Amino acid sequence: MKPRLLLPVLALLCGAGLTPAPAQENSGASQAIDLSSGDWEGVVNIDVSVLFPDFREPWNAGAPSSGSGTGFMIGKNRFLTNAHVVSNATKLVIRTTNDPRPHPARVVFVAHDCDLAIIEAEDGAPFEKMKQLTFGGIPKLNTEVIAVGYPIGGERISVTRGVVSRIDFNTYSHSEVDSHLSIQVDAAINPGNSGGPVLQNGKVVGVAFQGYSGRVAQNVGYMIPVPVIQRFLKDVEDGKYDYYVDLAITDFPVENSAQKKALNISDDGVGVMVAEVEPAGSAGGTLQRGDVLLALDDNPVLNNGLIRFEGELMDMSEVVERKFAGDKLKVAFMRQGKKFEKEVELKRFAPYVKLGSQYNMRPRYLVYAGLVFQPMDRNLIDAHGVRDPVASYVFDNYLTDKLYVERPEPVMLTTVLSDEVNAHLTVYAQSVVDEINGVKIRELNDVAEALKKQDKKKDFVVITLLEKGRPVVLKRDLADAAHPHIMQTYGIPADSYLGNE
Amino acid sequence: MKPFLTLSLVLAAGLALAQEQPPEAPNQKGGSAAAKPPIADLPPGDAPLRPPPMAPGQPPGIVRKPIGTIIPPPQMMQPVINTSSLLKVNVTYQSFNLQIPWQKESAGGRRGLGIVLAKNRVLVTAQMVADSTYIEFELPDSGQKLPAKVEAVDYEANLALLAPNSPNKEKDFFLGLTGVELDPSARIGDALSVWQSGRVGDLIVTPMRISKVMTQGYFVENAAFLVYEATGIIRSESNSFTLPVVKGGKLAGLLLRYDSKNQVATLLPAPIIEHFLKDVGDGKYDGFPSLGIELQVTQDEQFREYLGMKSGTPGVFISKVMKGGTADEARMQKGDIMLSINGNDVDARGDYQDKQFGAVSASHLIRGRGFVGDEVEIKVLRDGKEVLLKGKLTRKQPDDYLVRPYLFDHGPKYVLSGGVLFQELTSSYLNSFGGESRSGALLRLQRIASNPEEFEKDGRKKIVFIGAVLPTQSTQGYERMSGQMVLEVNSHKITELKDVAAALKEPKDGVHTIKLREFPYLLYLDALRVERDNMQLLNGAFRVGELSRLE
Repeated sequence: MKPRLLLPVLALLCGAGLTPAPAQENSGASQAIDLSSGDWEGVVNIDVSVLFPDFREPWNAGAPSSGSGTGFMIGKNRFLTNAHVVSNATKLVIRTTNDPRPHPARVVFVAHDCDLAIIEAEDGAPFEKMKQLTFGGIPKLNTEVIAVGYPIGGERISVTRGVVSRIDFNTYSHSEVDSHLSIQVDAAINPGNSGGPVLQNGKVVGVAFQGYSGRVAQNVGYMIPVPVIQRFLKDVEDGKYDYYVDLAITDFPVENSAQKKALNISDDGVGVMVAEVEPAGSAGGTLQRGDVLLALDDNPVLNNGLIRFEGELMDMSEVVERKFAGDKLKVAFMRQGKKFEKEVELKRFAPYVKLGSQYNMRPRYLVYAGLVFQPMDRNLIDAHGVRDPVASYVFDNYLTDKLYVERPEPVMLTTVLSDEVNAHLTVYAQSVVDEINGVKIRELNDVAEALKKQDKKKDFVVITLLEKGRPVVLKRDLADAAHPHIMQTYGIPADSYLGNE
Repeated sequence: MKPFLTLSLVLAAGLALAQEQPPEAPNQKGGSAAAKPPIADLPPGDAPLRPPPMAPGQPPGIVRKPIGTIIPPPQMMQPVINTSSLLKVNVTYQSFNLQIPWQKESAGGRRGLGIVLAKNRVLVTAQMVADSTYIEFELPDSGQKLPAKVEAVDYEANLALLAPNSPNKEKDFFLGLTGVELDPSARIGDALSVWQSGRVGDLIVTPMRISKVMTQGYFVENAAFLVYEATGIIRSESNSFTLPVVKGGKLAGLLLRYDSKNQVATLLPAPIIEHFLKDVGDGKYDGFPSLGIELQVTQDEQFREYLGMKSGTPGVFISKVMKGGTADEARMQKGDIMLSINGNDVDARGDYQDKQFGAVSASHLIRGRGFVGDEVEIKVLRDGKEVLLKGKLTRKQPDDYLVRPYLFDHGPKYVLSGGVLFQELTSSYLNSFGGESRSGALLRLQRIASNPEEFEKDGRKKIVFIGAVLPTQSTQGYERMSGQMVLEVNSHKITELKDVAAALKEPKDGVHTIKLREFPYLLYLDALRVERDNMQLLNGAFRVGELSRLE
């Protein structure tokens, strides 16, 4: 099987035969590179074998596949790459330009929320003398950069050149829900470039990670800039990754004169309306809807939600982005014309992780008498192609209607494996579970206990579903008796996997 | 974290798209899924054998039939095959734009057949006259025309009674026409024929046979009625609305829809037509009554045992009792097991044994056999005991619903203030976006429509929401909003659109404050600027003729 070249968002650029670019020796910043000089020796190719988990048949191993990306040495036997290069990996191999041997490797740290990972070779000895790459800063607009890596189009190392096009906040498509600073370049970034360094004056100014298909936009590639990389490196210094923290508020820009007047916002351009505050987030209990956010750590927040940070206008989140779990943030705000200043402790906001893609997760499930229960998240919704309107509503409004407060992990009856005992229940597949035997189901772990519980009618297992008119009812003795042979018939090795192992 | 702004984009995009859509094709009434025009799916070249045109009084050429089918006795059709009970009905219609409610869509035409009844009244389907702006009768042979008007219409039963609208010409026009009688006696296995009018008024007769009787929605989604399903081959003619189906020269039904692939016709049966005419006849139209319940079948043995039902006994599980409906007034409760209606057992499927049709949904006992005001007796099983509930049949008017199930002939209600468009939610509005899979604001509104209870309990008569925001000075910064439910305006609770108009008269310190159920929750408008923008909106670029429609 030909390996998948890794780069999210981007579809393979097909058609036009790639003509080799003539060597540029006239440009000031560019110089011919002698591979034997060892300058780029630290840029390595990573071959990955992956296993895509099967969220439809969660007891199965999943579908094997393979891929290829780039990484580069940043420390002693430490290679930086993208999280999406090593996600769901079962086997990693590092290859270098001048060494024919494959070097087995393993993941040391992975951060799916900023698409970065660190891997190491199982035997670090061959890399002892390899030249490490060092980091620069945020490059200026319209300055030249080169992307180095192992993209589509050949086997050996490749270099493409371009300029910095834009510095902006952007969604990281690996998780689909995280946004961080990213830098757009017009150097060709293609599948396989993922995880490779983007260099300026010999220093790393970013990690190539995503781009658009040529059918959508031309010459738009993105790299993860140094502040994001350094935050990741600092986070893992203590031996584990703690994720990004989030203020978990949503601002609404102040452009309307009546809005300004009603909220007592002065004409100096400072202050943005707080439209939404997640009760379970860092600012829950401190900020309220309708407050006016004035400053974060003494950095004035402008009417459009931007701040001036390191000389550039950036999304106000950038102040929070640089911090770590447990750090404090000074929040200045105005409520009904009165000014307040409070300190909040920053933490991760977990509920919205479920709205994005998750990786390296063995699917969790529980089967009882042919009824398959699974926790609702993006992976499940995509795998089952859920169309039930109630289930769609619950997932779509998990955050917006604060459903996570009541049910941190909504549980779905995804499938009914047909048997005499559940013959009338197949129509209830893809329903959201409300209660089992009178016990409210807040997460998958509640299901097993609740099934055992004997409610008023103890001979029955009674499962109420959200907005489904009638409960699903099984006679306990019949269901218990049918369970083992249903498991056998449908080839399910274990009743459940709850993620505890 | 900014996942929210994009949610409102969905609606905004939908709006833009709808504006660009080409005008509706004639004969295609938008809105409900059931509104598919009959026979429209029959391509022209696909036409089956057509019986030769027949002169009145002449027996029809019997169409060749496969062996094994029963050939109807010839006298059934013999003396009555004539066009004297048929005329053409031409309707010009123009529907309102549900998303830009001060505008109308482009006008279109529908051509169909009308069935002449007594007293120069003409029966057509309601679908035919929905949103009509001009109606005329046309004699099939001479082409003579006469203006007409709607005398009674029921969109749920999909029936309309038309009357001539030109006293001087009426008598001459109807001279050669004779009223047809109804025959509600058709049953499964009966042979019927579908009448169509050819290009020059010639009659095309197609045989059909009733294979099934059941209940189904007709044209709007909120009510299921009796239908006959008949098999046979019908060819498409230009006037394919309201085709009469006859039995022995009497009207046995109207063609509702035709599935050309399976050659199955769905007929609106004479018993429903009879009900409609009887109701119209007493001078006050009440409409078809309903129970106002949602039920669950009880074929699942384990479920029956759980409910305490004995094996083989009748009864269905009542999962919802709509507020203010017949069942609610008779004190039926969620969780009851409905055993019988007026002495007719209701089986585990929810059917009763009808003398004429066999097993049919029990809803027909109420809707088809009953009239508003009739006494009804319902036996239920509650906590293991039989309870007899008594009440009077009622009908829920479309306006009694939190979310109006359909809207024809009237423009949608709206209030446009400074560019913010307030609307009342209707099913027609939701359907106007088409498509099955929804997300964001549309999905939330859809959910409100299917779960009205929580909002009714909260005292809301209607759901008021922001349909769109026009770019004005007042709405600077709000342009991309749409789909948010309005909870309060200037501290007044909004229970229907009228409240918005009233509350907007009371700004505080020159600012209107609008509380929303969804992001961004709060909206402020400058009251003076709103007044100025209103003046500019009237007959400005958006061609707003009126700033509100509250009736």
